[in-house]
Amino acid sequence: MPEGNQTNKHITEILDRASIAMLSESELLEIHVHTMDCMSCRDAFEAARLSAVVIKSRAETTIEPSPFFQTRVMAALREQQAVESVPAMLRLWRSAKALVSTMAVTTAALAVVSFTQPSQTTPVLDQTASAYSAYSVIMDQDADEQMSYEQVLSTIYEDDDDAR
Amino acid sequence: MDLDLARQAQAGDESAFAEIVRRYSPRVFSVASRFFRQRPLVEEAAQEVFLKAYTQLGSFEGRGSLEGWLTRIATNTCLNIVRGAKRRPEFTVSDLTEDEQGWLEQQSAGDGGEPASVENTVVATDLADRLLSVLSPEDQQALLMIDGEQASIKEVAEATGWSESKVKVRAFRARRKVREAMEKLLSYKRA
Repeated sequence: MPEGNQTNKHITEILDRASIAMLSESELLEIHVHTMDCMSCRDAFEAARLSAVVIKSRAETTIEPSPFFQTRVMAALREQQAVESVPAMLRLWRSAKALVSTMAVTTAALAVVSFTQPSQTTPVLDQTASAYSAYSVIMDQDADEQMSYEQVLSTIYEDDDDAR
Repeated sequence: MDLDLARQAQAGDESAFAEIVRRYSPRVFSVASRFFRQRPLVEEAAQEVFLKAYTQLGSFEGRGSLEGWLTRIATNTCLNIVRGAKRRPEFTVSDLTEDEQGWLEQQSAGDGGEPASVENTVVATDLADRLLSVLSPEDQQALLMIDGEQASIKEVAEATGWSESKVKVRAFRARRKVREAMEKLLSYKRA
C-alpha cells in the first residue's frame, strides 16, 4: 500500500508540475496506465484536465481597447499635468481656503463679542469685588464700631433722660 | 525606435506618448483582462498603467522592449489594485449554478472538449474565476500566464519581476490548489 501511495503522489506531482498540454508522451502514458486501476488518480487527472480547460478559457477572455481610449488617457494626462503645474503651497491653500476663511470669520466674531460685552459685565464684577474685599470689610467694620467720646456721652445721657 | 519614442514623450512630445498608448494599449488591456472581467475596471487599470508609465519614462533605458517594460508596469499596477480591493467571497462548492453543473457534466461525459459556444465560454470562465478565487493574486497570475497563455517561466519572471524559481513554485502551488478545488466540485456534483 505504501508503494501505491507513493505512485499516487508521483502521479499528482506530474499533474501539478506542468499543465496537461505541456506533459510529455511518456508522462501521459504513465498516467494512463496508472489511472486504469487507481480511482483517486483518475479523479485527480480528470480534475486537472477540466481545470486546464477552464483556465485556458479564462485566459482567452480579453477586453479590447475602445477607440476612445487613447483620447481618454491623453485627457487624463493633461489634467494630471495641470494639477502638478500648480505650486504645492497654492494647492494646499486652495484645499484649505474654506476652512481658513471660516476660522477667520469665527475669530473676528469672537473678538467683536469680547470687546463689546465687557462694558456691562465688568463693573458689576468690580463692585462685587470691592464690596467684599477683605480690606474694605475690615475698614468698614472699624468705622461702624469706633465711636467718638462725645457720641458715647450723648448716647448715655439720652438713655438717662428717657428714664426720667 | 522604442527608445526614441520614449525619449520624445519624456521631452513633452504629446504625439509621441499618444503613439505609445495607441501601439501598446492592446497589450496593456490583455494584462488587465487577466485581473478584471468588467470593461470599466480594465479601462481604469489600463489608464493608470499609462499615467504611471509616463511619470517613469526616464527609467526606460531601452535595454528591453517598451512592450515588456509596459507589461511589467501593467502587471504590478494591477496586482496593487487587486491587493487593495476587497477580497472575493470564499469558494464554496454548493454555490454551483445549474449552468456550471451542466457544463461539468458535459465535459466529464467527454462530449464537450473545448468550450466552443459563447455560452459555454462564459460558463467556463465563471467556473475559472471560482477556482482562481482560492489563490492569491500572484499565484493566479502565474497560473493564467503559464497554463492559460502558454507563457514560459522566463517570460513570467520578466513580466512580474519575480525570480524563475519563485514563478515555478507559484505555478506548482496554484495548479495543485485549483485541481483540488475542481476535485471537490466534481465529487459534489457526483454526490
